[in-house]
Amino acid sequence: MAQMWITMGPQHPMTHGLWTLRVKVDGETVVDTEPELGYIHRGVEKICEARDFTQITPYCDRLCYVSAMTWAHSYIYSAENLLEVEVPERAEYIRLIATEIQRVTSHLMWLGAYSPDIGNLTIFTWCLRDREMFIDLMQELGGSRLHYNFPRVGGVKRDLPVGFAQRCRAKIALFLGRLKEYEMLLDESTVFLVRTQGVGLASAEAMVNAGVTGPNLRAAGVNYDVRWAHPYSVYDELDWMPSVEKPSSVKGADCYDRYRVRMEEMVVACEMVLEALEKIPGGADSHYSPGDAMIQSKAPLRAPAGSSGFHHYEDCRGESMFYLQGGGEGRGKHPYRVSIRSPMFITIPFVAKTMIGYKIADIPAIMGSFDPCIGETDR
Amino acid sequence: MGMKISSQVNVAAAEVAVEAINARFSSAGVEATSVQHASGHKRTYVSITCPPAHWLALAKWMRFDGGVNHCSMITGVHHPDGGPDKGWEVIAHLMRMPVVDQKPGKALVHDAAKLSGKDVPMEYEVMLTLPQTDDPVVPSVQSIWVGADWNEKETWDLVGINFEGHEYMMRVLNPHDSPQGFHPLQKQHHLRYHGHNEMYDDAQGFMRLPVDVDKVK
Repeated sequence: MAQMWITMGPQHPMTHGLWTLRVKVDGETVVDTEPELGYIHRGVEKICEARDFTQITPYCDRLCYVSAMTWAHSYIYSAENLLEVEVPERAEYIRLIATEIQRVTSHLMWLGAYSPDIGNLTIFTWCLRDREMFIDLMQELGGSRLHYNFPRVGGVKRDLPVGFAQRCRAKIALFLGRLKEYEMLLDESTVFLVRTQGVGLASAEAMVNAGVTGPNLRAAGVNYDVRWAHPYSVYDELDWMPSVEKPSSVKGADCYDRYRVRMEEMVVACEMVLEALEKIPGGADSHYSPGDAMIQSKAPLRAPAGSSGFHHYEDCRGESMFYLQGGGEGRGKHPYRVSIRSPMFITIPFVAKTMIGYKIADIPAIMGSFDPCIGETDR
Repeated sequence: MGMKISSQVNVAAAEVAVEAINARFSSAGVEATSVQHASGHKRTYVSITCPPAHWLALAKWMRFDGGVNHCSMITGVHHPDGGPDKGWEVIAHLMRMPVVDQKPGKALVHDAAKLSGKDVPMEYEVMLTLPQTDDPVVPSVQSIWVGADWNEKETWDLVGINFEGHEYMMRVLNPHDSPQGFHPLQKQHHLRYHGHNEMYDDAQGFMRLPVDVDKVK
């Protein structure tokens, strides 16, 4: 049969955002693919060159509205590396709690978006229902619903509100019970299993070479997590293991493995939050006013020319990183250069090549299982 | 727990990597040092300055002999005021990960306390400096790390640094029909807010003028 190129996107349910996947097909079989990105490129890196270090945080929130908290923290750790700031331990615990709650909401959004792709609409409503509980928790911290502008260079904007720990524990207890319902619904659904098992196989070594990180890599059986290998914050003080899935084929991990690893990661994140609430210095029920030395340390406003800072960070979708150079405008008040490593920018070209050899109907199942986010990809 | 790689192991692994690179490449002008991060856990990483001409050889050696298997980021910086010797910079961030291809049904879970030698995770930063030129070029490492491919595309698209030997270079974030030679992160392109801190200097916006204020209407 003659081969032809067809275009999926920029408006297509498979894309989970604005981008185009050009697919070369031979009948129903995918022969070649070519991703086209850049539809929502806002030039964040350039905008950041004209902002001071505090003003940049809200832009980083908006890199990905599904996981604003982790992106803001990714930037803040790099800025602290550049400005050489020490952070109080209580602030580190609060950051850990905030980012791990964000990880749960991000994975819930992923599951909610992924399951309708492969024919299960019930999970979508369940996930959004439970995601709202955790969004309410983060709203208590940051003040707004999705873009929190929560971390500050040297600490956090405000302490845990009174009663936060109690509400957090209650919601997590409720959620961990509901997660078992999710698993019962999905793991016993023939449609779900047929569409995910043995589809979209990706091997560990190929993924590392291609720069794929995060849950997608851990699904292939690799115990690699930035929080583990290059620990930051207080991750090394908590008792946890990265969730690693056993690959189901010699060819690597399939879509089902990637689903499993995210389900486990939600449990691990919840347990980490519970443990952090126990171990937080000063106690989870006490409240320090904004700017207190317990939650924020003094930080310089300027970075000299020639200085640089970077920090590998475990985002919900893999390893994110900011590379900052100091010495910009305003005698170093602005960064000279901000460069962003987006995990999905690197992953999407890899996923596109992973689809070769599968059927057109498998494309949404494969693409969705890698959790694409175009806001951070295009920046 | 077993999650933490001790700082002694971290520093020792960095020293070993630095010595190996210096022993092999110091005659070519490559200089490796171990540097401590300024914040957080103050972990040590390997920082390398490399003449662009030797970047490909260094990359090959790092990938296949040094075990550096993950290319995290390649990015570029434009320095129009950096003097004759420093017009452009290319910075590569690489990582060494203890990864093997997995057999089905098995997940290799590393015990951090038992890792040694090349299995210890390590961060690398490689800095390539180019002189002032209108046509900055460095060798491409696309063939060594697949992950470098789109990083290099992005660097060319946004900063305008060419990668010699890169196959199928194209615009990835800017529109495909952007004018030739337009690379928005070069410093001659300014935003409205560059050089004028409106938020502080003109909070009310009284000084803001129409864009066609001095034009004949």
